[in-house]
Amino acid sequence: MKLILSTSNIMTVGGPSVIRPVTTAKSNVELINSLRSNFQASQQPTADPTDRRPAAAWTHQGPDALYIPALDPSSPGLAEERAEYDITVKLFYLPGIPASRRCAHTREAIDLVLKELRVDSIDLLIVSFPGILFDAEDDSDEEEDTRSSDNGSEEPDDFDSMIQTWRALEALQEKGMIAQLGVAEFGSDRLARFLPHTRVKPSVDQINLKDCCVVPKSLILYARQEKIQLLTHNDCNDILPVGTTRELLGPAGAGILASTSNAKDGIEGDVEPQWVVKYTAVVKDRGVVENKGYFALADMGSCVKPRE
Amino acid sequence: MGLLALGTALDWPDAKLRADQVRKWGIEQLLAIWGRAKGKERDVLLWGDEVEYLVVAVDEEAKKARLSLAQAEILKSLAKDEALWNSGTSPVSQNKEHDGEAPPHFVPEFGRFMLEATPGRPWGIHFKDLLKVESNMKWRREIAKTHMAPNEYPITLTTFPRLGTKGDYIQPYYPPSGPALRSQFVPDEIANPHIRFPTLAGNIRSRRGRKVELNVPVFKDKNTPQPFKDPTVNYDLHQWPEDDDVRNGAAKDDHVYMDAMAFGMGSCCLQITFQAKNITEGRTLYDQLSPLGPILLALTAATPIYKGFMVDTDVRWNQIGNAVDDRTREELGELPLKNDRWRIPKSRYASNSTYISQDPRLRKEYLDPDLVVDEDIKKRLIEGGMDDLLATHFAHLFIRDPLVIFSEDLEELDLNKADHFENLQSTNWQHMRFKPPPPGTSDIGWRVEFRSMEIQMTDFENAAFSIFIVLVTRAILSFDLNFYIPIQRTTENMETAHARNAVLDRKFYFRKDPFSRIPRRQQRQTPNGTRAPSAASSSGSSTPPPLGPVESEYGLMSIADIINGAEDGSFPGLIPLVESYLNSVNVDVETRCFLARYLDLIRRRANGTLWTGAKWIREFVASHPAYKHDSVVSDEICYDLVKAVDEMSVKEGKNGSVGWELLRGRK
Repeated sequence: MKLILSTSNIMTVGGPSVIRPVTTAKSNVELINSLRSNFQASQQPTADPTDRRPAAAWTHQGPDALYIPALDPSSPGLAEERAEYDITVKLFYLPGIPASRRCAHTREAIDLVLKELRVDSIDLLIVSFPGILFDAEDDSDEEEDTRSSDNGSEEPDDFDSMIQTWRALEALQEKGMIAQLGVAEFGSDRLARFLPHTRVKPSVDQINLKDCCVVPKSLILYARQEKIQLLTHNDCNDILPVGTTRELLGPAGAGILASTSNAKDGIEGDVEPQWVVKYTAVVKDRGVVENKGYFALADMGSCVKPRE
Repeated sequence: MGLLALGTALDWPDAKLRADQVRKWGIEQLLAIWGRAKGKERDVLLWGDEVEYLVVAVDEEAKKARLSLAQAEILKSLAKDEALWNSGTSPVSQNKEHDGEAPPHFVPEFGRFMLEATPGRPWGIHFKDLLKVESNMKWRREIAKTHMAPNEYPITLTTFPRLGTKGDYIQPYYPPSGPALRSQFVPDEIANPHIRFPTLAGNIRSRRGRKVELNVPVFKDKNTPQPFKDPTVNYDLHQWPEDDDVRNGAAKDDHVYMDAMAFGMGSCCLQITFQAKNITEGRTLYDQLSPLGPILLALTAATPIYKGFMVDTDVRWNQIGNAVDDRTREELGELPLKNDRWRIPKSRYASNSTYISQDPRLRKEYLDPDLVVDEDIKKRLIEGGMDDLLATHFAHLFIRDPLVIFSEDLEELDLNKADHFENLQSTNWQHMRFKPPPPGTSDIGWRVEFRSMEIQMTDFENAAFSIFIVLVTRAILSFDLNFYIPIQRTTENMETAHARNAVLDRKFYFRKDPFSRIPRRQQRQTPNGTRAPSAASSSGSSTPPPLGPVESEYGLMSIADIINGAEDGSFPGLIPLVESYLNSVNVDVETRCFLARYLDLIRRRANGTLWTGAKWIREFVASHPAYKHDSVVSDEICYDLVKAVDEMSVKEGKNGSVGWELLRGRK
């Protein structure tokens, strides 16, 4: 079974959760807190702590997935006309998930965003491949192949699978669903290796904020030459670990999953996050962020597909 | 300050007779604007900064710095250049760095020793625009400098340290005690000679019935006489009736005494104006920026010297308020009301007293219960279709008399102009200003002006504070932030901001939770964009939680907590809010690094790692070998200070150069 977790519009619902504590440099606090607070708001609509609704009342069991919480069918979408907005979507392919699933994942994620914002295209899709760390110090991309996940095993995100994924994105771009494509954490070497294999070049390379003031000259020059815009971000590398997902959904959180894979206090089975997508809709000429949120998808229990 | 057309300006007794007519016509003009522009929609964000300069002439031989009264010549020369530029035939080398930027715009200010410069075109929100602000400010300074005499410099000090002293602090020299200002310290020639300015100063004095009165507490150093009696005050002048003021106790013990508009309106400020998308957004920004006024005033503090003495306050604000205070003794509450209509608690130049947004979060308790309004004007505005809140705002501004009236303008009411409306609107110098679109243009929308900040000595700082405020407005709109506190607390904060080192030593009333408690899930945008509760909300109940007492919503906070966030997490902080906003939009690497420098300056000003301009000036004076620890800032110290400030505007504290304590924090 699939679980689709959503935050709703965190610009206002999230409140304090969107503000990082001053001490943490980069983290996934925004995603985790906004999921948690959206679950709480849906589960417990009034200030009365005893007024806790059962899962069935605030989630929605669709034909293919359990929506946590249920998506609001009356969601109004954007306030102004589509042309007024810049809609950016960042898709995080998670570590340990086979690259062969990415084509389907991309469609799934984009469809959810389009539906949520009531639009039929996005302006920029940035994809984040797992295991790539941008290293500003020596301008060589290190592949963190040895990071372990809760599942124990971890394949390197090899170059061929990135190209393969990119093909799928190019197809969506050519359909007019996405205006521009982007990558994250690519150094100049990796970009130079990557570009010859692309039909649609990335327009954006998004690198982590922490390093932004020591961006290697070679990358700046190469990006300028290739007309690739270098953007900053503040996202975490492993944005949704397995343990965190269980914590969010388990008895201490939303009360949907069991506390362990074989416990009886909720839905049983393994939980495996597949992807996370972040979307923002910014009113172009006024710089106002009108809508921002996340979806995350996890496979659950018996549906967890075997690794290829 | 825009200049109005020339004409025959009425002196006070005559002007007073026409005051009602100007107010009435002003209100009709406002209603005409309101009718035309209330539905104006989808204006883009445009914003502009205004930087003001003192023109200082440095005399290397005599080791003296003097204010230069060369404004008119400099402006004439600048205007000639601007015209050539606009016609594309400028002989001036057009700095390549500023390709595509319109030439800056220079305008006169009240003081004849002042210049004001704005960007040639307003800025947008596109991040590339934010990158140009600082270099454009530097460019303005360069251009201004090229139109001055070789020994003259555009200096961004709020006030000239020796304005109004006994010596020859101006060039050319004029003796004090002229017919318009009647000041014993400054000559009439200190003010811009345009008829508007001497009339303004003269009519304020006449209406008030005596000279304006500024008493600033002196900073008591170890050799300062006790009690301190301002030694520059002359008690034996008998040229004007107003010379009696000091014999009637106008000059207070332990205070530096000043008696003319020039001591206030001769101050330089940093003002930012924003265009809102529509009137609703403008009203929101007006309200939400208002509580930030005193915070930014304390954070930009740069005014520790008046008339050759160190004073015990850090900012200019109240001095300007007193310098244009036209209230009569009756209005001030010193005499029973007989001829005047109201007791008026504040000067025309003061913190603002109204909230104007039709925002469900605006509680009645936040409004000033003692607000003075002209009920007849309010009634007329409401009849004309204006809502109660906005009508109250303008009926409050219109309790004042118009000060400068040109008789030619009273012949016929022109509803396609705004001159009578602006006559009152632009002589209400509150810390926020709500500006309707000017008639006759379709491309200017509703605007809000943020007016409390002090000018900073370098363009890096001026750009930092300007851009910070712009980013704060974007965060306010994006997160739907709520900074409402009772407006009287903002008035108190404004006073608090005056204290020496208030930025670190004082606490300010601020709202504890800036987030809206009505989640958007329970609100629905109706087709016309207003929010309405949703019956179909999936989360069910839409009853908002009951509101607690207003007093529980705000508390006293340090500026560090307000800007950087409280360590215990009780307040998120304006900088983290801005950073969170920046993390939600696509910002390129170069811009983000630029912005990081600006935010870092503000962060470290707030936590005390970097000094304010006021503290730096105090330390400069205190450590000057010629300073005798008697509060006196001599010609020699003033000369060295001006030189240092000029050097700082170029080197910006780099490599341990002058000013590193307020710009970099390390040598």
